[in-house]
Amino acid sequence: MDAVSLLIPLAEITIAGAIINASVHFVPVGGAPAAMATSTGVGTGTTQLAAGAGFTGLMAAAAMAAQAGVDVFNPAHLALIALSGAVGSMIMLGITMLIGQLIYVFGVGVVPAADKCEKDPITGDEQRPYITPGTTGHAVPTVCFVSGLIGAGLGGIGGALAYIALKQLGFDTAIAGILAVGFFFINAVLASYNIGGTIEGFHDPKFKKMPNGVIASFVASLLCGLVLLGMAGLA
Amino acid sequence: MAHGGGGHAAEVYPENQVLAVGAILAIVGMYVAHFVPSLSMLIGGLLAAGACVAGANTVRKVAAYGLGTGVPSIGMISLGMGTMAALAGVLIPKVFGIPEIVTPILAAVIAIVVGFIIGRLTVNPVGMKIPIMVQSMTKLSLAGALAILGFCVAYAGGFSADVFIDNAVKNGIIALAFIGAGMSILHPFNACLGPNESHERTLTLAVACGLITWLVFAIAKLDLISTIVAAILWAIAYGTYVKMSLRDACCVLYTPELPKKEEE
Repeated sequence: MDAVSLLIPLAEITIAGAIINASVHFVPVGGAPAAMATSTGVGTGTTQLAAGAGFTGLMAAAAMAAQAGVDVFNPAHLALIALSGAVGSMIMLGITMLIGQLIYVFGVGVVPAADKCEKDPITGDEQRPYITPGTTGHAVPTVCFVSGLIGAGLGGIGGALAYIALKQLGFDTAIAGILAVGFFFINAVLASYNIGGTIEGFHDPKFKKMPNGVIASFVASLLCGLVLLGMAGLA
Repeated sequence: MAHGGGGHAAEVYPENQVLAVGAILAIVGMYVAHFVPSLSMLIGGLLAAGACVAGANTVRKVAAYGLGTGVPSIGMISLGMGTMAALAGVLIPKVFGIPEIVTPILAAVIAIVVGFIIGRLTVNPVGMKIPIMVQSMTKLSLAGALAILGFCVAYAGGFSADVFIDNAVKNGIIALAFIGAGMSILHPFNACLGPNESHERTLTLAVACGLITWLVFAIAKLDLISTIVAAILWAIAYGTYVKMSLRDACCVLYTPELPKKEEE
């Protein structure tokens, strides 16, 4: 293969890693406190949520890529695969947040309210009066939900892009799948170390730390890309 | 909010020693599995459990600092790096025409390099303030790679690219190795952390987790002798762990009740 067909997958992998890392910062993660409704977000860790959304996206992307007549080198088909990944991932995280929300509101009996902003940036609703003293908010308020959907969409695109790049490098579907899973975990964990615990979404002050995580993933993905090029016999 | 992080309990066995023993056992196991395929699951599977114990021991050391995102995250990144290094070790010799005999060593070297660089990235720019982060990520990457490769080689019966890809990757066994080995690396400390965590008890659980992963693989391969041996060894290790837990539980360290508001 010539230099261009070698550089394109490398660039795709590097960008995919950076997108996956950025996407994790959008997902409202509350960890154990959220499970007890004393903070906003979904009651589990960043890695698990990102992995769940990312893998669903990966599956959706792989299913689209496996359709007859789909060519991974065709830009239009490439966009279609990425879109399939994004939609799959958004459905998964959207349903997770919706069911969580139903349990919060009707099971635990709390009002969805964010602690990190006075007014919900999307609906304009006052948040403060609804926050129980001693807690940092409850459930999944509108702004967190929308942020989560954006994050899931980006994560799906990132996972799909990594899968496409691996397919373009000529890997077998099974190998590309498991490599994409490992690759996804590296970037999701790097992002979760950048966040360090909980995040509400794009309105959270911790969101400003995103560039550090994206740079880390960019470098890590470039390294992974070089190893993958060696494995594909193109280096 | 910091998940985990029970502080440091006394270290009975030096970390580097455990890692070296685990890594050497796993590599020896792979060579045995490659050259004597009839014993691959019996010897290879048993020795691959050594890499799981080594990884679990390193998780114990680094996660005691409090990662901020839970113990499982570091187990998962270990397996993420490990998958890539393990497959690179298998595929690179085929691509460059190097003798396949170097596969386990090559996978270990790639895992160390990738783990070191990603470990550096978690310190700068990400800013993890754990003094042993870089060396721990390097060790975890190595343990993850050897655990995945060890169990897959034991299942496939060899590490040459053709045998490995057909018998361990295309049938999805590598996904079982990913999550099985992952659980046995991240679970022991996650289950034992907290006050009164003891190195001996965590390591015993790590051995039990490594052995049960071997048992799962032995069942998956329908290898009767390995299944029986693995089941017996696992029962002994797990029984020992339960006994240790009961023994240690007689000195529960009670934490005081939460102060009532009036008593402030």
